[in-house]
Amino acid sequence: MDAPAPAERLHAMDHLRALAMLAGVLFHAALAYSPVMRGFFPTADRQTSGWVDAVVWGLHLVRMPLFFFLAGFFAAWVIERRGGTALARQRVRRILVPFVVAWPLVEGSLAASTRWAALNVEHPSALLVAAREWMQRPDRPPLPPTTAHLWFLYYLLLLGVLHWAVRALEWGRGGPWLTSRSPQWLLLGLPLLLTPALASVSAPHPAPEGLLPQFWAIGFYGAFYALGALVHARRDWLERARPLAPWLTAGSATLYAVFLTGLAAAPPSAGNTTASWGLAAVEACLSVWLTVLCLLVGLRLLNRPSPGLRYLSQAAYWTYLVHLPLLFALQYALMDRGWPWPLKLALAVGATLVGSLLTYQLLVRHTPLRRFVG
Amino acid sequence: MRLNTAVIRLLIAKDWQLFQKPLAVCVLAGVVALCFLGLAEPWAFYVGSLLLLIVLISSACFSISTSLVVERKEHTLAFVMSLPVSPLDFTVSKLIGSLLTFGVPFGLMLGGALALVLYTPLPDGLFVYTLLIFGWLLFAYAVSLAVAMSVESEGWATFVMIGSMVLINPYIMGLSQVPVIADRISVDALVWTAPAVGILTTLVVLALVVLGVTTWHHARKPAFY
Amino acid sequence: MMGLVGVNGAGKTTLLRLLTGIAAPDTGEVTVLGHRLPDDQVAAKRDIGFASEDMRLYRGQSLRWHMDLIRGVYPGWDEAYAGELRRRFDLRVDQRLGGYSHGQRVKALLLLCLARRPRLLLLDEPTTGLDPVARVEVLEALADVLQEESRSVLFSSHNTHDVERLADTITFLHQGRLIASADKHDFVDRWRRVLCHGVLPGGLESWPEIARARANGSLVEIKARAWSEDLPARLAAQGLQVQRADPMTLEDIFITAVRSEAVA
Repeated sequence: MDAPAPAERLHAMDHLRALAMLAGVLFHAALAYSPVMRGFFPTADRQTSGWVDAVVWGLHLVRMPLFFFLAGFFAAWVIERRGGTALARQRVRRILVPFVVAWPLVEGSLAASTRWAALNVEHPSALLVAAREWMQRPDRPPLPPTTAHLWFLYYLLLLGVLHWAVRALEWGRGGPWLTSRSPQWLLLGLPLLLTPALASVSAPHPAPEGLLPQFWAIGFYGAFYALGALVHARRDWLERARPLAPWLTAGSATLYAVFLTGLAAAPPSAGNTTASWGLAAVEACLSVWLTVLCLLVGLRLLNRPSPGLRYLSQAAYWTYLVHLPLLFALQYALMDRGWPWPLKLALAVGATLVGSLLTYQLLVRHTPLRRFVG
Repeated sequence: MRLNTAVIRLLIAKDWQLFQKPLAVCVLAGVVALCFLGLAEPWAFYVGSLLLLIVLISSACFSISTSLVVERKEHTLAFVMSLPVSPLDFTVSKLIGSLLTFGVPFGLMLGGALALVLYTPLPDGLFVYTLLIFGWLLFAYAVSLAVAMSVESEGWATFVMIGSMVLINPYIMGLSQVPVIADRISVDALVWTAPAVGILTTLVVLALVVLGVTTWHHARKPAFY
Repeated sequence: MMGLVGVNGAGKTTLLRLLTGIAAPDTGEVTVLGHRLPDDQVAAKRDIGFASEDMRLYRGQSLRWHMDLIRGVYPGWDEAYAGELRRRFDLRVDQRLGGYSHGQRVKALLLLCLARRPRLLLLDEPTTGLDPVARVEVLEALADVLQEESRSVLFSSHNTHDVERLADTITFLHQGRLIASADKHDFVDRWRRVLCHGVLPGGLESWPEIARARANGSLVEIKARAWSEDLPARLAAQGLQVQRADPMTLEDIFITAVRSEAVA
């Protein structure tokens, strides 16, 4: 199957979006066993493994960029089919409403499980220790609220608004020119643009979960969103990039080795809050190239109807919304167990997925909720 | 007198569509301002809040100028008045349309600014102060809108628009002369004082009165052009 | 189809505004199509299509946007007819009106007025400011379009050629007053330029049928507003020898009417 018809390609895009969201479950679960995140993650376990770092940071560099690429792609698709007003209505129903409803629930349940863990876990992580100390202070200052893992909804809304503004001002005219050039221009040019954004934060880049938008996050994820929207208008761009796949693979493998070495040499710490320009450039290349590679692989392998993947893609949104409170509760409970970390990871991921899919089947699939998060 | 609601709705939608470009610029500038605030540096806070104020004032001016001043200047008013609308329909559509084009950015920014004060380490005393600043902008907007609706001269409309917005400076100076208001800004507690409540109520009531009188006046015009 | 002729400031625009209800009369009553204005202007404007020379469309928006707006306002909007007019006027619907020429803007305005199928069409100086080619185009299009229509049209102009070309009935307006109103052919039939030989007798201009009389040496030129077969005999009784009596152009009639009115 060389050049699938454009209409069929949406299978691949749909399946990729589901996989990108489900990869989030694995990513958040695995962070508990990452040596790099030991001091920064609430569920950080006593046991860590360098193997985890070798895998999760690659996932981290591609997962959300791919997701925002697909978000831009689907936004352009809805605009083309049903117009800007339909997109705005859909964004309100499927993003704003779920965000507003889920946010306090997620915040509340994460706070409750963390409070329980801080008080009850015998082998707490550094963050849980800090939380315990904070809870014991009589004059404890209130913590600024965060959007937790729902930051992606916040940024989807923000990028939706920016997308509307750019369309209203007719600023997108140069876009088609970019995608009509040879793909290597964007594959080399985009990382250059993203490097300053990534150099302004630590490496690996953090989640922009504050209530105020961040320049770097808008620039970084916005670029992938824009690329997605542009590629929607020039679907052949990805196929034209396909001959470059071997180069991208080799380049990504080399740069990932460089990235891991750099990360080991200068792990993120309180005194190391910004990445070096070199490391940021490596991150930028990796995120662009890996995202394009994922898309090419997806178009090759996932571009056909599959009942299993279809179910997963329908359940992926709900799963992603509810996974973190579930996962944290499970991992807090597993912290004091002396079991080997791969077993704990498999248990946490498995139980979280089962719980999420079960609640999807019971609460969402056949109820009015599916209009919002189905 | 019966209102022609279907046409009024269309005219409001029309004004909203015509306002899209200025609104898009304001939204972009607003997001940039919020990003500055998000940098959590004192200089960025200053730049961000200044930019927010500029965005708010420009959205007020754009809202009035696209729907009233430009319409009169470019003679599209004649086109609108050739449609089956009465002067009252037209006035109501302009009033609601302008309040919408101004109200949406104003409401979003007011909500955002207040949430920012309450949920970030900024002192909560800024809450009342923020409301006082926004109160002035609302009042200045109401006066500018009333004048733009009532006079035919573009010059006067622009003069009042700029004048009332620029007067925010002496107004802020004036606020700093009231100790019970000025002293509470940096305090991390939300306290309502009599002068603050008085000023805010006066501004809001005046804004409503100005808009009410303008509508009443226009509703009694048999025809205008 | 009535053409309203008057010099600048004669009151043509004011009259048309009064007829649409967007201006209120200081005294008197205005009734259009059975609607009392300006109180009943909403109902009246549903039946009236009004386009004036100083009326502009939104420059930043396309003709399609304007058509959508008007379609929303007028339930009787005829989309097929609008498409036909668009082709006849050769207008691009998706182009912004800022990029239209003045002639195209006038045509766009006419399209928006005509496709709502009004019972009465009021056009205020539709050809003013157009270059000669655009003027002829608009006039031709208007004549074509109006031939197929069964509606009343009142249009104003200070250009008598345009009026002569389009109107069946002509009304002269001067300083806010109606000075003459008649069928186009009546005007041409009644008015005559009479050339006589002799001495201009006093009091000739007070004759009701004579609008103007002046002497140039022994040649006397008389412009008669109500020509009749017995006029040469009556002039002869005054000592004037009628040499010829020619029909007048509408422009000449108009100028004479305005001047005699000014003298009166």
